[in-house]
Amino acid sequence: MQPSRRQFVKWATATGITLSLSPMATAASVPFDAHEILPGEGAFNPAVAGAGRIDGVAKVTGAKLYASDFRASDMPGWPATTSHALLVRAPDATHVYIGMDLARLSGSLKPSMVVTAAEIDSIGLTVPAFYAGDLFCPVGKTPLYLGQPVALLIFETFDAYDRARLALRDNTFVKFGEETGPVSMPPFAAFRFTRVAGPAPDAPDVYSPIMAGWVSPGKIQNTELPVWAPFAKETTKPYGEAARHGEAIRAELSADNPNMLVLDRQFDTQSIDPMFLEPEAGLGWYDTNSRQLELVLGVQSPYDTTESIAELLGKAKAPFKPAGIHSNYAHMGGGFGGRDHTPFVLYIALAAMFFPGRPVRLAHDRYQQFQGGIKRHAIKMHSRIGVDRKTGKILAFAADHVLDGGGLANFSASVATVAANAALGIYDVPRADVTTVALHSRGVTAGSMRGYGTLQTMSAIEVLVDEAAVALKLDPIDFRRRNALKQDGRTLAGNRYIVSVRTPEILDKLERHTIWQTRADQKSRAKPGFLVGTGVACATKDYGTGADCSNGRVELGPDGRIAIWNDHTEMGTGVSTALANRVALHLGGISDQVAVAQVGAFDALGMITSGDSYAMDQKTQDSLEKNPRWVPAISSATSASIGAHVGTHAPAEAAKVIFQFGLWPAALLLWKIAPTDPRAKEFAKAQWKNGELTMAGLAPLPLKMLAATAHARGLVTGAVAHSFSRWEWSRARFLLSGVQYRAEIDALAVRRGNGPFQRLDRVSVKFPPTDNNRIGTSYTSMCGTAVRVEIEKATGILKIAKAYSVLECGQALVPDLVLGQAQGGFAMGVGYALLESLPPFEGGPGNGQWNLDRYLIARGSDLPLHDLEIEMLPPLPDEKPKGIAEVVMIPVVPALLNAIHDATGRRFQSLPVTQSLLKGALA
Amino acid sequence: MTTVAITINGQKHGPSEIRDDLTMNDYLRENLGMTGTKFGCGAAQCLSCAIIVDDPDGTSHTSPTCIVPAVHFNGQSIRTVEGHAKDGQLSVLQKAFIAHFAFQCGYCTAGFLNEAQVLLERLAKTPLPRANLETTITEALDGHLCRCTGYVKYHEAVRDVILADAARYLV
Repeated sequence: MQPSRRQFVKWATATGITLSLSPMATAASVPFDAHEILPGEGAFNPAVAGAGRIDGVAKVTGAKLYASDFRASDMPGWPATTSHALLVRAPDATHVYIGMDLARLSGSLKPSMVVTAAEIDSIGLTVPAFYAGDLFCPVGKTPLYLGQPVALLIFETFDAYDRARLALRDNTFVKFGEETGPVSMPPFAAFRFTRVAGPAPDAPDVYSPIMAGWVSPGKIQNTELPVWAPFAKETTKPYGEAARHGEAIRAELSADNPNMLVLDRQFDTQSIDPMFLEPEAGLGWYDTNSRQLELVLGVQSPYDTTESIAELLGKAKAPFKPAGIHSNYAHMGGGFGGRDHTPFVLYIALAAMFFPGRPVRLAHDRYQQFQGGIKRHAIKMHSRIGVDRKTGKILAFAADHVLDGGGLANFSASVATVAANAALGIYDVPRADVTTVALHSRGVTAGSMRGYGTLQTMSAIEVLVDEAAVALKLDPIDFRRRNALKQDGRTLAGNRYIVSVRTPEILDKLERHTIWQTRADQKSRAKPGFLVGTGVACATKDYGTGADCSNGRVELGPDGRIAIWNDHTEMGTGVSTALANRVALHLGGISDQVAVAQVGAFDALGMITSGDSYAMDQKTQDSLEKNPRWVPAISSATSASIGAHVGTHAPAEAAKVIFQFGLWPAALLLWKIAPTDPRAKEFAKAQWKNGELTMAGLAPLPLKMLAATAHARGLVTGAVAHSFSRWEWSRARFLLSGVQYRAEIDALAVRRGNGPFQRLDRVSVKFPPTDNNRIGTSYTSMCGTAVRVEIEKATGILKIAKAYSVLECGQALVPDLVLGQAQGGFAMGVGYALLESLPPFEGGPGNGQWNLDRYLIARGSDLPLHDLEIEMLPPLPDEKPKGIAEVVMIPVVPALLNAIHDATGRRFQSLPVTQSLLKGALA
Repeated sequence: MTTVAITINGQKHGPSEIRDDLTMNDYLRENLGMTGTKFGCGAAQCLSCAIIVDDPDGTSHTSPTCIVPAVHFNGQSIRTVEGHAKDGQLSVLQKAFIAHFAFQCGYCTAGFLNEAQVLLERLAKTPLPRANLETTITEALDGHLCRCTGYVKYHEAVRDVILADAARYLV
């Protein structure tokens, strides 16, 4: 289990560049992996007793762990000296960029290398489609967006870099000429989601995205926003059908129907910054001797990052095309989506290639991180809801969403569709029509961030239903209960959730909680000069993306030590600890070597992929899957709350293989149970207790003894597994030890004893059907929040007096981690609701002048630190882990808005509701 | 340029010539390779860069390093996150942070650890009424930003360390 075992060459890509992860250890230096594989063989492991995280000791001792911690001298085999790069960005996107005036960088401050659009223009870069848009704004063009890079300045010494950075702080050296106004670009995406339920709950839908596919109006005419109404001659037939149903729903909402309450509201959300505490940073070194590009990076999407850099440089002319790329991925100081497919990494690679032979560090400071880091989409939402006044049931809903995607497409299309599919919140609405468009703007690029559109649209619906309940004089929780989607109900896309729907329990919990029960009493007892209000909200959030991969490699040593490799990344959520715990369910011990962010450790599987798993048709998939090495996708980013459910899946499956074909036969040998004995097949009845395998009537067997036996007898001691989820897992059969082994995986390799891993061709496979791509979401988890606020009338100061969140996460792998996510989500929700905001354009973060002195996130004193109660519902029988990292944040926001309404009588329809807004409203 | 000598975690560094405008954060991270002290904002707003300064009168306080020049610390004795564990043994506070799952990404941990350590040392000299404990912890830690945890477990960890040795820290 030494790092040296991981030396390999991964896969040759179409670019001809070899991508690898081989550590470059020397006898005198500490390999990168030794910093990152935690806690380390034989090291103190707090996770063993459930009393801490795998990375606990490293993080309280200041160990070198994050990408920003590494310099060239920390990297075995690298030159000792680090050069430093400064990424210069445009603070203007309405005037022509005419160049930089670097006169103030004279003498020793002069950069050794300046890379601009002119330098990269002729070398044959291929910008991956995902990052389409000029890497550097060329002289003579108006920047595509505020914060668009214009140059990389590379300095040989830190002192020169540091002094230059300060000298250039004001950005005035980036020069602009003629005013042009912003660059106009077409929308990144536009979709319409329409569903018309059948006449009875059990009847099939009349129309839904599942039935008809996802539709877009396409480019109908040259306007800023798409024209959503149907024009039979000008749009495609599938879109026309959706529009016909959608417009009927809108007509129903517009009709003068005294039996239906209709609320027509606008709700606007703001742009914010993920504000992970470690600004983006990384190292690159192009070794001119080996022509190898070495990288140290910290991203949520390691696999795609490595491939994107390979694509960027794959067709470059000499000497800008490396022969190989070797990536080292570090732990991250927070992510929250903002490090998922960040373009920052491309500039690290460029810095290294333009300064060959010398390691270069590129690191944002906080001003630069605000100026260039991925943001959350601001969304303008116009919603109409129709409720039957007699029954209190929601009859119809229509909404139009407009997302500000900023300068680059990034994940805007995806966020728009997720947001739209979340527009109905937890509710069962028989007729719904939601349009969404993600616009290009000159704002800083928006992309993935915790909540991913759902936060915005569910905040809107939860405020809207609260208003509807009040208008109908119904209890807000009772109103939610009447309308909540049941287990077998259909979502906006027309599909059913395939996991538990526990909204009724959550609503019951909220209703019974003292915060809710005492709301009237507390309101009446408000101190003079203060207003008291209570609010609730309930949300559901998908976990997964519809194309999620899990790679796992588990090895069991003869001493019982367990090592785990996984492709998911550690940004603080605790995935490494969750991995150790999930594997321990099958192998009876906590690993002391957990390696995350791996993209090549699964080489033994020899997987290949092709096509776009999101867009593939069934016939193509059926044909491709005949190749036993083919999978729909190989690895995916750590995002969309998938750490527990997806990230740990393949390692758990690998552990199951080791148990069934390694430890269990070893146990039979030690128990002297013959293969013909009926008990030989009863492995499911065995249980791990305190590191020993137990079975009724038999002597407990320590893991160490079983591992030693498995090794000695050449049984299975290691497994590598891959699986793919398109809202359900791949399933395949493998011939293993003479039996057909069936599991929720699609690729498997095993080792016996200390032998090499051998790939097993699957006997058969069933990938999730491609029609599942029409599903909006299928995996979901729920969370509800109740809050009581006190607002000082004279100042508008709001204090959260008491709060309660109740969530369900299936099987909690590490309950303390779940609790921590919920507490952190609460704080982030408070920040979003009350504090955080970035102006979209001029005056916003793209000007490079933003820092934490003006961007406020929640501090401890903003939170009810000793009055925040989190409750986790116990899992249902045999329920697997569910992802909750995002949902825990969502209901906090509308619950606060609803509490503010309860206190003040004022419904705020835009975020954030700041102290000054409250003060103004109460004046 | 100024000649600087600073005692860090009991070990003297320097004398060495450094730029007058080199921040203490860069001195630690770039010159000494001590990256346990983090860089978060460069504006003394998040305090992930905070270290402990041991004053001659026997008291200690924390200081941001991201905006304070290293020369300011000339002749002073400071402590960083790398200095809390002694002889391979984690401090009580470090153990409590781990046991409470106090941190997530861990990038703010050094700052919280230093601030809480100073608080413990202050309370050991000037014990506190129990009724003031939670407020005192909040006030002590409030300058530190954390984006992951919601602060609850940090506060619980510090509180539990104090309550576990109430005779020392509380009146």
